[in-house]
Amino acid sequence: MADEMASSESMGLGKSRIFTPEVINDIHVKADLGRYRMRGGGIFKKIPHWDELVFLPGTLTRFVIEGYREKCTTRTVLGSRFAKKPLELDIPIYITGMSFGALSLEAKMALAKGASMAGTATCSGEGGMIPPERDFSTKWYYQVIQSRYGFNPHHLMLADAVEFFIGQGCKVGMGGHLMGQKVTEQVAEMRSLPAGIDQRSPARHPDWLGPDDLSLKIQEVREATDYQVPIQLKLGASRVYDDVRMAAKCGPDVIFLDGAEGGTGAGPHIATEETGIPLLAAIPEARRALEDVGLADEIDLVVAGGIRNGGDVAKCIALGADAIAIGSAALMALGSNKEVEGADYQGTFGVSAAEFYHWHTGKDPAGITTQDPELRKRLDVDEGATRVYNFLHTLTLEVQMLARACGKTDVHSLEPEDLAALTTEAAAMARVPLAGTSYIPGVTESQTLEEIKNLLAKHVANDGRGSDV
Amino acid sequence: MVAMNPPTDQDRGVRRDIRGLAEPDAEAPKVARVEGGTATFDAADLSPRQVNLELRRLIYDEGVREVTVENPGAKHSLAVGLLARCRITIDGSLGYFGATLGDGPEIHITGRVGWSVAENMMSGVVVIDKNAGSLTGAAMRGGDLVVRGHVGARTGIDQKGGTIVVGGNAGSMTGFMMQRGRQIICGDVGPGMGDSMYDGAIYVGGSVATLGVDCIEAELTPDDEELLDRKLGIYRMDRPDTFRKFVCGKQLYNYDNLEPSERKLVL
Repeated sequence: MADEMASSESMGLGKSRIFTPEVINDIHVKADLGRYRMRGGGIFKKIPHWDELVFLPGTLTRFVIEGYREKCTTRTVLGSRFAKKPLELDIPIYITGMSFGALSLEAKMALAKGASMAGTATCSGEGGMIPPERDFSTKWYYQVIQSRYGFNPHHLMLADAVEFFIGQGCKVGMGGHLMGQKVTEQVAEMRSLPAGIDQRSPARHPDWLGPDDLSLKIQEVREATDYQVPIQLKLGASRVYDDVRMAAKCGPDVIFLDGAEGGTGAGPHIATEETGIPLLAAIPEARRALEDVGLADEIDLVVAGGIRNGGDVAKCIALGADAIAIGSAALMALGSNKEVEGADYQGTFGVSAAEFYHWHTGKDPAGITTQDPELRKRLDVDEGATRVYNFLHTLTLEVQMLARACGKTDVHSLEPEDLAALTTEAAAMARVPLAGTSYIPGVTESQTLEEIKNLLAKHVANDGRGSDV
Repeated sequence: MVAMNPPTDQDRGVRRDIRGLAEPDAEAPKVARVEGGTATFDAADLSPRQVNLELRRLIYDEGVREVTVENPGAKHSLAVGLLARCRITIDGSLGYFGATLGDGPEIHITGRVGWSVAENMMSGVVVIDKNAGSLTGAAMRGGDLVVRGHVGARTGIDQKGGTIVVGGNAGSMTGFMMQRGRQIICGDVGPGMGDSMYDGAIYVGGSVATLGVDCIEAELTPDDEELLDRKLGIYRMDRPDTFRKFVCGKQLYNYDNLEPSERKLVL
């Protein structure tokens, strides 16, 4: 007699799609811990991403640009709205804010040096200014962040641009995290905190609450910096259209949007997975918002979140970004997630080097996301800087290649018209046609509806005229 | 005859933001009366930008050490980012973000102030003769901030150093997430005092409505008494007969290692 309790491949018995082995393990871990799980890195679950967009280069309908001979400019200027000294970058890519504390001194120095070699900028991140980073950075953003750890008006005066951190894509609506094992005496002193505590930064700024106050806060920092440098507002991508409209009305020079794909040195796993929207959905919303408030030509748009290669960068530009910031990829260029001598990823963390996401533990075998003096020795600043420079240069070459193929002599001339989507989801979010069609979900229907309304209006008008006669 | 409209800011090439706060093209008005090392000017018809440009011109370029600003009109962001020893008298009231981001100035405000006065002050002295709004001394790192009247909510939020002295009462969440430094509140304090503070001390002369999470009372030591006498003496303020001292309970330093009995603290 058949055993109805036995598992069956065809029926899928015993293989729940809801309570998968991973979910069950997660529940067991939480039952042991009594708290949410912390980790580093970005989103793990599958979301619509840049892989679902492709370029439509020139063939006969478009004139292509000669790859190795004709110029395709990459110069990028941010914040020329009100700043007396806008930020001038040689390339449209820079290194986003990552704190000293989350990263080692050597990592901060190597990123600064590599970015300067590429003619681009770095950003202080949360933990305050470390002089070697400023020394090595030819262009340097200083963050005004919720915690104001180490914030110093003298350092503010040294900035080439000021970034108000309001949120990040990886964990929108939350402040920073730094686990006690990385809060060394030096890191703690810079932040005016007790050493060794689990540091959970405030999610709200201490001196302003809403957009009206933020307008005044921007005014205050502009007055303090004498209008010399651009003011940038960094937002996690959430209700992008409304947030960007509000942000634009607060008077910044630049708006920075961080997509859900963005990473973090440490954050709650649940927040990393469950907050924010993908960048490819956020950029069109931001452009629409800037256009609707009449500031599309005045306020520059910087974006970040999960950028891996020049294709991703070029797609961001095509959708409407003026510059792109990278974080996780810059750490990988530096040597994160790489087999290094003396490292035992599998033995220490139970994962391979490529799957290493334990940046929060402070035990990074590559010496990057750590404060351990022994591990830090594994990162050579000059070698790291060269790798970062090489990567930034390669990204730029890749962007140029795609821009030239699309017939552009300036990478900033890439436009939505150069893109097609491979899935209906990506087409709907990025507002570009599904490949091989002219169909943009949502947009096409609205246009059709508008046409029907117009036809009906004409019809009613004709009928009306007829009855009068 | 066609009526001529008056020229707009756009016609004159003046750039502004939607809220009219940005004034990138303003210049110092050069209206101050300078006598020796002191100067006075009337801010009634000046924008915040013009007031700040005039202050910078006097302090940085003209070497003036004492400036009086008349009729400040509760304007926002006045006397911000001054990084030099100097003495400024604001003869009236300020709006939001008054006397912030400073390192060195002694600023005396004879009226009232709005939110976030002396935010992120590094050193120096700010004295307000009347009341202050909320977020007073937010993220302050050093110096003395003295409010002779009452203060609103979240006084010394994220405070990292220095001393805040309040002659009157303080609102709710006083010392929220305070990291270092001291607060001396002569009057009563509202609910949630010292919530989530990391370190530092809050001295209260009056009553405390409720304590915030992980804020506890500590013993007042002779050193504390000396500090209270000294600070209140410097600013010639009446000293309440008794003070109580409140500090961090340090139970939330490591969320990850909380005992089961401590967990409900964070709910």
